[in-house]
Amino acid sequence: MLRRIASNLFWLTRYLERAEWRARLVDVNYRLLVENPAEAKDEWWPLLAVTGEWDLFAEHYAAYDEQSILAFFTFDPHNLSSIASCIEYARENCRAARNRISSELWLEINTLHLETKRWTSEQMLSRGVVPFFADLRERFYQISGAMQSTLPRDSGYDFLSLGRWLEAAENVTRLLDTKYHFLLPGPADTGSPLDISQWAALLRSASALEAYRNTYGNSIGVERVVEFMLFDAAFPRAARFCVERLEMALNRIASVCPAELRASAENNAARVPSTYQLGSKLRAGNASAAIAGGLHEYLLAIQADCAAIGDEIFTAYFKYE
Amino acid sequence: MPPLDVFITIAGIDLVRGDDGVFRVLEDNVRTPSGVSYALENRRITAQLMPEVLRTSGVRPIENYPADLLACLTELGTERFANPTVALLTPGPLNSAFFEHVFLSQQMGIELVEGQDLVCKEHKLWMKTVHGLKRVHVLYRRIDDDFLDPVVFRPDSQLGVAGLTAALRAGNAIVANAIGTGIADDKAVYAYTPDMIRYYLGEQPLLPIVETFLLRDPDVRAKILRDLDQYVIKPTGASGGYGVVIGPRATDRQLAEVRVHIERDPRNYIAQIPVKLSVHPTLVEGADSPLLAPRHIDLRPFVLLGAVPRILAGGLTRVALREGSLIVNSSQGGGSKDTWVLGAAC
Repeated sequence: MLRRIASNLFWLTRYLERAEWRARLVDVNYRLLVENPAEAKDEWWPLLAVTGEWDLFAEHYAAYDEQSILAFFTFDPHNLSSIASCIEYARENCRAARNRISSELWLEINTLHLETKRWTSEQMLSRGVVPFFADLRERFYQISGAMQSTLPRDSGYDFLSLGRWLEAAENVTRLLDTKYHFLLPGPADTGSPLDISQWAALLRSASALEAYRNTYGNSIGVERVVEFMLFDAAFPRAARFCVERLEMALNRIASVCPAELRASAENNAARVPSTYQLGSKLRAGNASAAIAGGLHEYLLAIQADCAAIGDEIFTAYFKYE
Repeated sequence: MPPLDVFITIAGIDLVRGDDGVFRVLEDNVRTPSGVSYALENRRITAQLMPEVLRTSGVRPIENYPADLLACLTELGTERFANPTVALLTPGPLNSAFFEHVFLSQQMGIELVEGQDLVCKEHKLWMKTVHGLKRVHVLYRRIDDDFLDPVVFRPDSQLGVAGLTAALRAGNAIVANAIGTGIADDKAVYAYTPDMIRYYLGEQPLLPIVETFLLRDPDVRAKILRDLDQYVIKPTGASGGYGVVIGPRATDRQLAEVRVHIERDPRNYIAQIPVKLSVHPTLVEGADSPLLAPRHIDLRPFVLLGAVPRILAGGLTRVALREGSLIVNSSQGGGSKDTWVLGAAC
């Protein structure tokens, strides 16, 4: 596996996952709005707060209305992190690694890319914000399906996995953090019906509500939601699950190292140590401790770990000597 | 010498048939001939659209081309190395033939490498993999000589790999086609090809080449400039149909222009006798609906040479889609057709 191709595959899924997550963020924001009291009607700014794009938005727009924020967030060419931009980068990486990608997968990604070129505010609003993003999420399921059913499970797939699960681990912390930006009216409201309904909205946006209920039953509480989204070993959007997938992919990549190259390749745990450290931390951690120490800070620490993992993967596998 | 004395592993020779019914060689393409993926894709489309016709007509399959190509490249490698690793060198996604590079590397199951993926160390060629450097023994290159090695050729090239020429000289790597084969693509060589065959092989050419005149010869030049509208004028170094002037169809102004060019730089031009390319029924836009109309075509068969020659039982038929046009190049709006060879293998 060439370093350049491994990097293309990694970034392909990373950008796809990022685009999908952004589509989910719109959904969670919308649902939190709907659950919110009437005075907070046009609160779309958390979308930009959680992605750190607020300043860039303010440079280009005067109004904070739904249409401007959604256009900026979704397809404005000034925003290099917009959903359309993520899809474009994914498609570029896919094209460069085209000989490792099935025609089915290429077709799905390229078609979606061509569609993003035609996106307009009018189209998004006439379809309805929620249906528009629901349609989009469906496209990501199709891409994911093409990936799973047409690609061999070789090192190429493992690098696709690295990009996907690293981005997913990072994004679940950002998703949980969205709640941090939707402040409750007062400290006494923690655990109130409003608080509960916001957590339920968040779970639903991560397609996690049903799985949560299967695990914890009907009652929704902050601690359990955090436990489920960070420390669950079986749910595919939980941080621990994502990081353990990272560990597995890294182990497989190391295990297929050809005999004649084995001397030059170091121990895998030594090449990307942060993955295994984060894995241990999540296996040993629990929600009450994370919340007691400050959830927002705990989430930021995981994001920093993810950044370190990304750097280590780059150095170990992508960087040219 | 390259292994097996093979300089040209892949040749795509342009053939034309004139109104006398004789096939002639129009041009040799022995540097980095392209278009075979179109031939294969055209067949795939035909098989989808009319599977029955294809099956009942005894059309010979062409899908083994990538396997044949890999066999030839591997045969070159096994002359010198135990388990040769073959890779395809592409200029990258911005190249117009990138689709073909992807297609062939995928079909052959070999790495598609760019210059940045390669490095020369100790006069050996390596590719940069996630687990370290891996030897490359045979490089199927789709990059012109000029860009292949910045140490020897163009120093500003980012597409090649520094030190490749030294690795070739040391016998530690093989490129196909060999460096320098592009000389045979120079159109001025066509004037000598029949003599080269007779002199070096002691054989008669099986196919005649379209008669070619070198304009650097003052007597020839004077004769041709007198009847300029009777000849096709081509720049020797160009490809893709660029700069070609077809005398009988050219305007006075075009003829005057090319006359100036020739007089200024006669070495860079050849003249050929125009061949009235044969035509083929082609689906074209009609006034109301699409209709079949005659359009001029040529044929590019693909010949592979490893330990043994392998010839594609098909080829790329290129068609000039504009009415009356003789320029079939895809860069000039030409199209292509599925090409059938019937009957049992010979």
